[in-house]
Amino acid sequence: MTDTKTTPVTPAPTTRGVLPLPTAAARPLLLAGGIATAASAFLAWTWTAEFPGDLTINGYPGGLQWLTVVAGILTVLFTLASYDIRGLGWLLPARNTAPLVLTALGAFATTWFTIIAISVELGGLANLEPGGWIAAIAAALPLLGALALPQENTGNAKETFKASIAKAEKIPAPAAVSPWIERLVITVVTAIGLGVFTYGIDTEYGELFVGYLITVVFAMWALHTAGLLDRFSRLVAHNRSFTLAMGFVAAIAFPFTQTDDHYANIGVNILIFGTVALGLNIVVGLAGLLDLGYVAFLGVGAYTAALVSGSEFSRFSGVQFPFWASALTGAAASLIFGVLIGAPTLRLRGDYLAIVTLGFGEIFRIAVNNMDGDSGPDITNGPNGIPSIPDLNFLGFNFGQSHDIGGFTLGRFANYYLLMVLIMAIVVLVYTRAADSRIGRSWIAIREDETAATAMGINGFRVKLIAFALGAALAGLAGTVSAHVTYSVVPTPYQFAGSTPPNSAFLLAAVVLGGMGTVAGPLLGAALLYLLPEKLVFLQDKSLLAFGIALILLMRFRPEGVIANRRQQLEFHETGQLDVPEQRIDDTDDTAVSVTKAGA
Amino acid sequence: MNTLPQQLANGLLLGSMYGLIAIGYTMVYGIVQLINFAHGEIFMTGAFGALTVYFYILPDGTPMAVAVPLMLIGGGIVAILIAVGAERFAYRPLRGAPRLAPLITAIGLSLALQEVVRNFYPGADRARAFPGLDATHDLGSITIKDADIFLIVSAVVCMAALAYFVRKSRTGRAMQATAQDPDTAQLMGIDTNRIIVIAFAIGGFFAAVAAVAYGLKYGNVDYRMGFLMGLKAFTAAVLGGIGNIYGAMLGGLVLGIAETLASAYIDEIPGMQQLGGQSWANVWAFCLLIIVLLVRPQGLLGERVADRA
Repeated sequence: MTDTKTTPVTPAPTTRGVLPLPTAAARPLLLAGGIATAASAFLAWTWTAEFPGDLTINGYPGGLQWLTVVAGILTVLFTLASYDIRGLGWLLPARNTAPLVLTALGAFATTWFTIIAISVELGGLANLEPGGWIAAIAAALPLLGALALPQENTGNAKETFKASIAKAEKIPAPAAVSPWIERLVITVVTAIGLGVFTYGIDTEYGELFVGYLITVVFAMWALHTAGLLDRFSRLVAHNRSFTLAMGFVAAIAFPFTQTDDHYANIGVNILIFGTVALGLNIVVGLAGLLDLGYVAFLGVGAYTAALVSGSEFSRFSGVQFPFWASALTGAAASLIFGVLIGAPTLRLRGDYLAIVTLGFGEIFRIAVNNMDGDSGPDITNGPNGIPSIPDLNFLGFNFGQSHDIGGFTLGRFANYYLLMVLIMAIVVLVYTRAADSRIGRSWIAIREDETAATAMGINGFRVKLIAFALGAALAGLAGTVSAHVTYSVVPTPYQFAGSTPPNSAFLLAAVVLGGMGTVAGPLLGAALLYLLPEKLVFLQDKSLLAFGIALILLMRFRPEGVIANRRQQLEFHETGQLDVPEQRIDDTDDTAVSVTKAGA
Repeated sequence: MNTLPQQLANGLLLGSMYGLIAIGYTMVYGIVQLINFAHGEIFMTGAFGALTVYFYILPDGTPMAVAVPLMLIGGGIVAILIAVGAERFAYRPLRGAPRLAPLITAIGLSLALQEVVRNFYPGADRARAFPGLDATHDLGSITIKDADIFLIVSAVVCMAALAYFVRKSRTGRAMQATAQDPDTAQLMGIDTNRIIVIAFAIGGFFAAVAAVAYGLKYGNVDYRMGFLMGLKAFTAAVLGGIGNIYGAMLGGLVLGIAETLASAYIDEIPGMQQLGGQSWANVWAFCLLIIVLLVRPQGLLGERVADRA
C-alpha cells in the first residue's frame, strides 16, 4: 500500500497505458467518448418494442438507455474533474485516474450489456438499429481512452490493470466547512441514495435490474477509489445522529414516492427481512454464535401473533389482542424459545449450537406442520396454516385501508411499511446501544477469544445467552408484523433453505454478505438478496445453486462481507488508541493484514 | 408387525445407518475440529453415484448380487471424490480462519451439491426409484429384508475394518496422533494434509455404503435425503462423543432405537397420545440430543477435553 512497495526504484516510471496509445489522446478520448455514449442513448437502438423498455424512439432515451446516459455523464464528470475544472475538483480529491477507468468501464458494461441482451433476446444482431451500433462503438471509446491513461507499468498486464483501478493512496483531508454545509451534503447524499434505491425497487423487468446493478456497482466503485466514500463516512462519523435521522426520514419518504402499492409491498418485505437479519447480526456478527435455525424465531413470533389476532381460524379465535400486546407476546414467546434452546447449548463449544439451532428450526417446521388435530394437538392448523388474519387497527388507524396524507395516497402495504420503519428504528436503536454497551463489548470479546474473555472475568454463558435471547426476541417482534402483512401464516417459509427469502440460509447469507457486525451491512445484504430472486425470475430455478456457490466463494475471497466492520471501526475512531497498532499493521503490507484477520 | 423385538430390530437397522454416516462427521471433527456440514450431501451424492451405476452403466437385468458391489464401488468413488474435493478446494484454504468461515462454506457447499443434483441429474427433482432388495425373511417374531441384512453386515464389516485400520496400521496411528495434536504430529514427520484427506475419504466411503443401504432398503432416493440424515447422523456423533469412532456407532444405534421406540410407543403415555407416529420421530431425536447435551455434554463415550485456545 505504501509508495516504497509499488513504485520501481527509478523515479521515472514508464507512463504508457495498458494500451499502446499516445497518452495525450487518453483524456480527450474519454471526454468525447463519454459525451458520445450519453448522446447515443437518444437514438433508437432496436426496431421493435418487444425488447422491454421500448428502445425504438429517436430523441428520447427509454429504460436501459437512461442507465447509459447516467454512466456516460459520470464518465464525463470525472474526466472534467481530472482537467482541474473549477467546481468539480471535489469529485477527485486525490487526482487519481482510477475513477475514470471505472466509470468508463461502467458505461461500457452497461451499454454492451443492453446491446447483447437485445441481440440475444430478439435473436441476432440484425435486430440492432444503426443507433445500437453507434452506441456500442461510442461506449467503447472511453474504455480505450481509459486504458491509454498513463500508468506505471509493472511488467505484468494483470498487475498493471489492477494498479490502474486501485484506490487513491492518500486522500487529502477536506477543507474545514461549517457543520451546516456538512449536514447539507448528508441531506443531498441521502436524497440521491433514496432516489437510486427507489429506482432499483421500481425496475419493472429483469434486464433493467441487471443494468441497474452494473451501473451502481461501477459508480460506487469509482466513488470508492476516488476516496469520496471515505470522505463521506468521515462526515457521517462527525454527524452520526443527524445521518441516522436523515436515513429514517429517507426511509419514511419512500412510500410517498410510490404510486403502486406493489412496490411498497416489496419495501415492507425487505424491511422485515432486514430487521430479522439485523437481529441475527447480534447473534452471529457481535457474539459470534452461529444460529442456523433463526427463521424459526420469526415463525414463533408470526404464529403467536396469528393465534392472538382474532382470526376465525385461530385456535383461540375469540382472543384478539391489541397490536402492542400481540407484538410483546410474540417477542416474549420467541424469547422463551430462545432461552430454552440456548440454555443447554451455550455452555458448550460453539459448533454444537449450530447443530442444535438447525435441529430446532426443523423441529419448529415439523411441529407446526403436525399440530393440526390429526397427527398432533390442534394448535397451528397444520400445513394450511392460519389464514385471514385481520389487519391491524391502531388507535383508530386501520392498516388495511388506503389513507390520504397530504395529497399522497398510502395503500395497505405503505401503512405496514411505515410501521416496519418504526420497528426497524427500534431494532437499530437496540442494536447500536447494545453494541456500544458493556455487554456489547463482552460479546465482541467472546467472539474474538472466549478463553481470554472468560479469563478477564466475563461470564461467557450469561453474555451469550443474552445475545441469543435478544436476537430471538427481535425476530419474534418482526414476525408479529409479518403475520399481519401476509394475511396468513403457513409452515413453508420457515425452513432452512428455500429459493425465496426469508429462510435461515438466506438470513445468514444476508448478514455474511453485507458484513458481520455492522448495521448497514445486513440491511444492504437483505435488500440485495430479496431483490435478486424477486427481479430475476428467470434465475429462480438456479438461484439456490448460485447462492451456495456464492457463499463458498465469498468465504474464500472476502470473508468480511461488502461492508467491512474493521475498516469502519478504524474510520470511526481515528484517534482511538485501541486501533492505532492495528492501523500501523494495516499500512505496512497485505500479509500483515491477513495476520490480523486470522488472529481475529 | 408392531412387536417390541421388531421395533428394536428396526431401530438397530436405522441406527447402524446413522452410525455409518456419523463416522464421517466424527473423524473429520476429531482431526480438524470442523463440522463438515456437507457430509449429508456427500451421503446423497453417494446414493446417486450408485444409482448411475445401476441405471446407466450396467446392462439391464444384471443380477443384484453382481450389481450391489459395483454400485458400492461407483457410489464410493463419487462420494470420495466429492469429499476429497471439498476438503481440497473449500476447506483447506480456510484452515486457520475464524470458525464461522468454514461452517458457512459448508452450508454453501451443501446447498450447491443439492442444487447441482436437483438441476442436472435426470429426474432428480423428485424421488427417483432405486433398485430394492425386498425379499423378506422371518426370524422368529421379527421380519427383515435382504436390504437389512446388507446394511447390518456392511456396518459390522466397515466398523471392524476401520477399528483395525486405526489401531494397527501406520496411517491409522498417524491419524490418532494428528487428532491428538496436529502441530506436534507434523513435527514428528506426519504429513497431516494427507491424514486429513484420508479422513475425508473414509468418511465419504462410509457415507456411500450407508447411501446404498438406504436406497436398497427404502427403494427411492432424492436430492434432499442428505439433509435430515446428515443432521441426525451428526446428532448421533455428538451423542456418542464427537471425535470417537466407536462412540459414533454407539450413538447411531442409541439414536436409531430411541427414535423408533419413541415413534412406536410414545402415544401410549397418557397425555401424549397425539405426539406419536413417524411425523414426530425427528422431534424426539432432537429432544434426545438436547437432553444428552444437558446431562453429559461430552457424549456417551467422549472424554471431557479442554477447549483449544
